[in-house]
Amino acid sequence: MHERLSFYVHRESFLHHLNPLTKLTLVLGLILVAFMAPFYWTPHFLILFAIIPLGFLGRVAYQYFNAALKLILPAAGFLFIMQALFQPFEGQELFRFYFLHPTLESVMFAFSNATRIIVMVSSFTLLLLTTHPSELMSDLTRRGLPPQFAYVIISTLQILPQMQAKAQTIIAAQRSRGLDTDGSFVKRVGALVPLVGPLVFGSLVEVEERAIAIEARGFTSTHPKTSLREIPDSNLDRIIRWFLVVIVIVTVGLKIWLS
Amino acid sequence: MAIVNLQNVTYKYPLTESLALNNINLQVNEGEFVAIVGPNGAGKSTLCYTLAGFVPHFFKGELTGMVEVAGVESQKSKLHEWVLNVGLAFQNPFNQISGAKYTVYEELAFGLENIGIPRDEIKIRVEDAMSLTGIRDLADRSPYSLSGGQQQRVALTSILVMQPKVLVLDEPTSQMDPIGTREVFGVIRQMAHRGLTVILVEHKVEWIANFADRVVALKDGSILLEGTPSEVLTSDLLAENGFGISRYTSVARKAKAQGLWKKERLPVTLDEAVEGFALTPGPSPEGRGE
Amino acid sequence: MEITISNLQFSYPAGVHALRGISLEINSGEQVAIVGQNGAGKTTLVKHFNGLLQPTSGSVLIGDWDTTKYSVSKLARRVGYVFQNPDEQLFCKTVGEEVAFGPKNLGYDKARVESLAKDALAMTELSEKTETNPYDLSATWRKMVALASIIAMDTDIVIFDEPTTGQDAVNVARIAHVVKTLRERGKTVITITHDIDFCAENFERVIALSQGKVLLDGQANDVLGQEEILATTYVDPPQLTRLGKRLGFKQTVRNQEEFLTALKG
Repeated sequence: MHERLSFYVHRESFLHHLNPLTKLTLVLGLILVAFMAPFYWTPHFLILFAIIPLGFLGRVAYQYFNAALKLILPAAGFLFIMQALFQPFEGQELFRFYFLHPTLESVMFAFSNATRIIVMVSSFTLLLLTTHPSELMSDLTRRGLPPQFAYVIISTLQILPQMQAKAQTIIAAQRSRGLDTDGSFVKRVGALVPLVGPLVFGSLVEVEERAIAIEARGFTSTHPKTSLREIPDSNLDRIIRWFLVVIVIVTVGLKIWLS
Repeated sequence: MAIVNLQNVTYKYPLTESLALNNINLQVNEGEFVAIVGPNGAGKSTLCYTLAGFVPHFFKGELTGMVEVAGVESQKSKLHEWVLNVGLAFQNPFNQISGAKYTVYEELAFGLENIGIPRDEIKIRVEDAMSLTGIRDLADRSPYSLSGGQQQRVALTSILVMQPKVLVLDEPTSQMDPIGTREVFGVIRQMAHRGLTVILVEHKVEWIANFADRVVALKDGSILLEGTPSEVLTSDLLAENGFGISRYTSVARKAKAQGLWKKERLPVTLDEAVEGFALTPGPSPEGRGE
Repeated sequence: MEITISNLQFSYPAGVHALRGISLEINSGEQVAIVGQNGAGKTTLVKHFNGLLQPTSGSVLIGDWDTTKYSVSKLARRVGYVFQNPDEQLFCKTVGEEVAFGPKNLGYDKARVESLAKDALAMTELSEKTETNPYDLSATWRKMVALASIIAMDTDIVIFDEPTTGQDAVNVARIAHVVKTLRERGKTVITITHDIDFCAENFERVIALSQGKVLLDGQANDVLGQEEILATTYVDPPQLTRLGKRLGFKQTVRNQEEFLTALKG
């Protein structure tokens, strides 16, 4: 019930010590290069020579491979099969099974797409594994992201599990009043009102009280906010960010030039 | 010198007919500990919101009269400036957790970050406040993993770190079990010892009697009675008007009617009751109940 | 209708062993208060009475019904359960509809639903608020609506979870009146409470739980006088009991009458 929806793993590593914006730039850079690069093997190359090394560099390789095996690979695999089988590409037919007749082209296309998705999800996973959500939000707020926006994102992540627990209590309370939540579809739909009503009202009360509570702690103060966490932003960070921007520009340039 | 000064304060919530506060006049001196008692609907929470600036800045509605803290008038101030002078904590500890932080330490720093306190000072203030309220051992826990009493102590500490001139506490123990109640009153006792200006709304009168300098009894939006804890909490008026009173007081009142309570003043606390009933003539204490 | 609990054990899926072998008989028409610190297993225990939780081992019988064989909504005919927070159950537009919801679910005919609702509203002093939206009422009145909505189901057994938390003296007196009325009607009333004075003044039998086991069970005076044992589950004796002890009374007193009688000697 008290689980937090945060993937962050506390470690001392090069990646952990990078500025959150640098890591965000790295994520976006990897994604853009994977999707824009004009060479077929680029995304595969990125997985081998960027994503996996970054996992080791951030000392979260174990957690990353865990997530990859349980979540990323199955999803990408599913995407690969669907696209390989159903993409109507002309070309060399591999086999025929009833209405399915995948071609080499469709398989190649699906493979490349699935790899791109792996790069995208993996780079976000690495970001979340090595960046504390508060740190990410503090840094983005410092750079101009509205604090209300940052607050909504983080508090929602934390309060959702609590809402779930509350919904369970409401269901129990209404069943205790003889409400039958099993049975026919009509019965179940009818049972929704007594469940949703208290949840919505309860949330409204909570939102008002929470608004008062954070207001009482200066949330709307016009002073520039400070941060408890020291968020590093070194020259190295700046160099890496500019380097990534240049790589993205070169990739886009290559794509335009070669097409 | 009064740090809180309410003059002829009358307030009506939007879209309602009746007055939530009706001509309240109240002065609180610096360092004074004032407890407010009253049945539900007496206007206790509204009074807290008014002191903390949420009436009228958050709830709107019609406010007349003057609300002044540390020489500044609430109506002429902005809410985010006002909250720096008056800290507010209330009943439900869960809803007071910001939700934006992952540890108690960060949670306590939240308000200080908001008002732009430099990092080094944040750390000093958070650590001082944690020592005062005895929650150092909770620093690295998630606020959501705590018991109600622990959460409420975190909520009180998160207001303390802001170093407001006046603390307003609206029934901080009403949702607590006995352990939580004891924990929270432990913190409140510390505040009283430190000479903070505290305005506490509370049902549990035996606790109030232990550390309030003055008690204000509120009924239907007006002040019914005001005085020392002993004067107010033992008054017949309270019993007649549906206020919560100590069992020691009510049993002594009955005993007095039968000539079994010899003192002038009725008791509020256990010690006062023991002292008073010891004077009751009759069989020796050893013989009682046989 | 009696409740028979035999060697009840319960573990939560996460592995917490909440109840460690509880055996109890609660007779028809008894008034029972269950006390003990948070985590002692009070709520876990009573959630077995209407099937919200099923025993890991052992059994719970409500009359002749084994709770594992009946759904929660069926058991609602025999056991009413008032949750701690009224806001977790109120959803109707008017107090009247809210109170009629339970008896309607139980399939009673219109005339019976109406008379049950009317009676429950009267018992909770809500008769004049029948047409009000529950959310326009104060939190204390919403608590009374929650009570009324369970009482209207006319179950033989009624459970209250922390009925007095956050209530003022006037409302605590109203709740005490409800408990008394139910007793006069021969209902079994079971209350979980931290409010030991409320417990002392309104309940004849007290069960103290600690770490998933029954620590003490018996007549209120016998249980509430055991200061040292109660302290192990963080329960303080009632105020008047403590006062009586300090004054050296030989017997345990728990309300004003008993105190004054003992004082006179």
